[in-house]
Amino acid sequence: MDGVVSGTVTVCPACGETAGAGARFCESCGAALGAGATGADVTTSAPAEPAPSAPAAVAQGEAVAPAAVEQGEVVEPAAVEQGEAVEHAPVGRPADGAEPSLGACAACGGDVAADGYCTQCGARAPVARDHAEEQPAPHVAGVTDVGMRRRRNEDAMALGVAGDVTVLVVCDGVSSAPDSDVASQAAATAARDVLVAGAAAVGPGDAGGWSRLLVESGHRADDAARDAVDDAVARQDPPSCTFVAAVVSPVLLVAGWLGDSRVYWLPDAGTPEQLTEDDSVAAELMAGGMSRATAERSPDAHAITRWLGADAVETTARTVATRPTGPGWVLACSDGLWNYASAPEVVADLLRDATGRVGPDPAALSRDLVAWAKAAGGHDNVTVALARVTAPVTDPAAPLADTHTDDPGTTPTVRRRPPGSLPEEPDAPAP
Amino acid sequence: MATFRAEVFQNEFLPDGGTDVHAIVTVSAEGVGGAGTAGGGVAEIIMIDTSGSMTGPMLAAAKHAAQVAVDHIPDGTWFAIVSGSHVAQRVFPYPNAPLAIVQMEPAAREEAKRAVSRLPAQGGTAMSTWLRLADQIFATQPAATQRHAILLTDGKNESEPREQLTSTIRAVTGRFQCDARGVGERWQVDELREIATALLGTVELIADPADIARDFRSLLATSMSRGVADAQLRVWTPQGGQVLFVRQVAPTVEDLTARRTEVTPLIGAYPTGAWADESRDYHVAVRVPSKNVGAEQLAARVQVAVAGEVVASGLVKAAWSDDASLTARISPEVAHYTGQAELASVIQEGLAAKAAGDEATATVKLGRAVQLAAETGNDEATSKLRRVVEIDDEERGTVRLKRGASRLDEMALDTASTKTSRVRR
Repeated sequence: MDGVVSGTVTVCPACGETAGAGARFCESCGAALGAGATGADVTTSAPAEPAPSAPAAVAQGEAVAPAAVEQGEVVEPAAVEQGEAVEHAPVGRPADGAEPSLGACAACGGDVAADGYCTQCGARAPVARDHAEEQPAPHVAGVTDVGMRRRRNEDAMALGVAGDVTVLVVCDGVSSAPDSDVASQAAATAARDVLVAGAAAVGPGDAGGWSRLLVESGHRADDAARDAVDDAVARQDPPSCTFVAAVVSPVLLVAGWLGDSRVYWLPDAGTPEQLTEDDSVAAELMAGGMSRATAERSPDAHAITRWLGADAVETTARTVATRPTGPGWVLACSDGLWNYASAPEVVADLLRDATGRVGPDPAALSRDLVAWAKAAGGHDNVTVALARVTAPVTDPAAPLADTHTDDPGTTPTVRRRPPGSLPEEPDAPAP
Repeated sequence: MATFRAEVFQNEFLPDGGTDVHAIVTVSAEGVGGAGTAGGGVAEIIMIDTSGSMTGPMLAAAKHAAQVAVDHIPDGTWFAIVSGSHVAQRVFPYPNAPLAIVQMEPAAREEAKRAVSRLPAQGGTAMSTWLRLADQIFATQPAATQRHAILLTDGKNESEPREQLTSTIRAVTGRFQCDARGVGERWQVDELREIATALLGTVELIADPADIARDFRSLLATSMSRGVADAQLRVWTPQGGQVLFVRQVAPTVEDLTARRTEVTPLIGAYPTGAWADESRDYHVAVRVPSKNVGAEQLAARVQVAVAGEVVASGLVKAAWSDDASLTARISPEVAHYTGQAELASVIQEGLAAKAAGDEATATVKLGRAVQLAAETGNDEATSKLRRVVEIDDEERGTVRLKRGASRLDEMALDTASTKTSRVRR
């Protein structure tokens, strides 16, 4: 993710990337944004389509508030503990004094000093965060990687399993805001803990229940992002990140998000879908009828319109649910992957090719997809998390009986869904 | 408990193919406490010029200053007084005393002042003999590891070839620290600067003999505030890398590059002498083999070591980027001190050219000095330059040599040339 929308955008004369108002250097290529850059006023309010959904989301957030607070209190100590345990602060930043990984230098075999650099050749020893893998259960795994061009991995992931429910969370730190790597890890961990802790209380097929819990996890993730550094509120560019979480049960997939990290549903047979709908200018353009290819190349395409952190305006995640109609993969990722493979069919092909190369192990597949994105340029940090859905146990045609249209607090909030998802559900209630 | 801190200021980004990394490292010491005089670890020697040229009020002022200094040396400090002409003589302890250096106590203080009062002025000037005698005296008391000397002269080192002085300075370098003071206008700035630079001291012009006593008092106060007897600056470079230069840039410019001693093949140590509660800036330039765009590595570890133990460390990094806006930026600290170092050298070169009668070169060099002093905000240099040149355009460095500029003003400018203004942060 490259930035957030802020009124006026500037187009980098060197690479065509867009930058926010007042930016002096291109965040993508670093070119100075001076006289050569073209400026254009862009309105940040959502045009035509997404607009109606936002108020709906707010209304939902209010409706679930009491439950959310309760849940948050229950899981908070666990979240704090976990957050500290998994915090991998990178080496080489003057302020944080993080402990680096010691041992032998990967470049020359020399000793790595306590400062994180080799005592012989000076190479920076990789830090845990540069490339991290998780596989909490055989059917679920994720890989996050610094990529080829960035010096720090600001993506974070947190995976979890609770009974037959699998949780994937990916947060992508806003690189223009310092310490967003800290915020993204704190947010991902906090959200995962909320979802895992709350899983038992929600029926595996309860789309409304999961939707509520995802909204709650987004709020707790936002708290964590805000608390990630002591002076976040005082900063002009407080640490911030995207948020995407997927809850995967054999009978139901529910995703919640803020920003442009995504969840795809990639069935072995049938039509692949992008479940989430980016909170980005590109998505708004697509919603207005522009083609994906054109929209994603457009100025400001990468600017996100919602995020987590001290300067976030709206932190109620939008949610979407679908029923798996057969075995397949749920894939959560940061834009480090979808920059190179955006359309669901393309992602599905990519995964199929990867399966041909490395087999069906989700860790091997995640690693392969990350390597593919790096080979394609690796411009940004890359995170891929995969959960296998084995076989649906319910009739795919059955309606989501436990979510009622007369209960506006329990339905997923996204109005425009990929075709085929939740066929019986009406659109989210009007605000 | 003394604590040291090393802070690095640099632009770590190098263009594709770039190899040279520059950084300013600010080293600060806190909680140092005073010199351990009571424990007998501190020694002080005062060297007074008693050549024939000192005869008259100058000698009287120098004697008075030496007596004031003796008054300000704390009890317990090992001390001696040397009078210097074409030969050096120990004034106190008396030449026939069994000990070459004694610990200060009230009776010794009174006797030393009496010895100073009887000093006659006669003979020429051969400072190498003074330095050698001081070195020999210090050496008789090995336990006193914090060794400081003051050298006062009024004249040129005329009784021996310059090489004699240079080789002696080299021989005693690292054995004690020495501040050099020139009184009046007949001494040679470059001679005293050579002594002070090598012996980790300062050089100052004292225009009026009446000011010697006050200067000695402040020199002793500074010396006695130094609670860390000796600290080293250590610079680690990666295999295949090399140190281009290591330069102290504040409070004064001193090139340390040639003073490297090897700790390991990758680590060189540079002497910095004794420390009080203070902060000094160092400009470290290293060359490392170029790496691919996107690579990052450590270019230097800059450390402070006291008694063989590393007490502070700063990291100088190199990161290769194809982003010109990152790589073209010069760290303001590096720019500031690069300017200050150039300022010191153009002042010295300009004055040397003027002395040699090359007015064209002098005008250009001093013009550049005016420009640099303005750019880097070195007001002291600007005001001293003003007494030597007429400034037509400060920004462009257009100047005319001042007719009838006094030798004292030129010496004051020369002496102060290595003093730098701190970078504004």
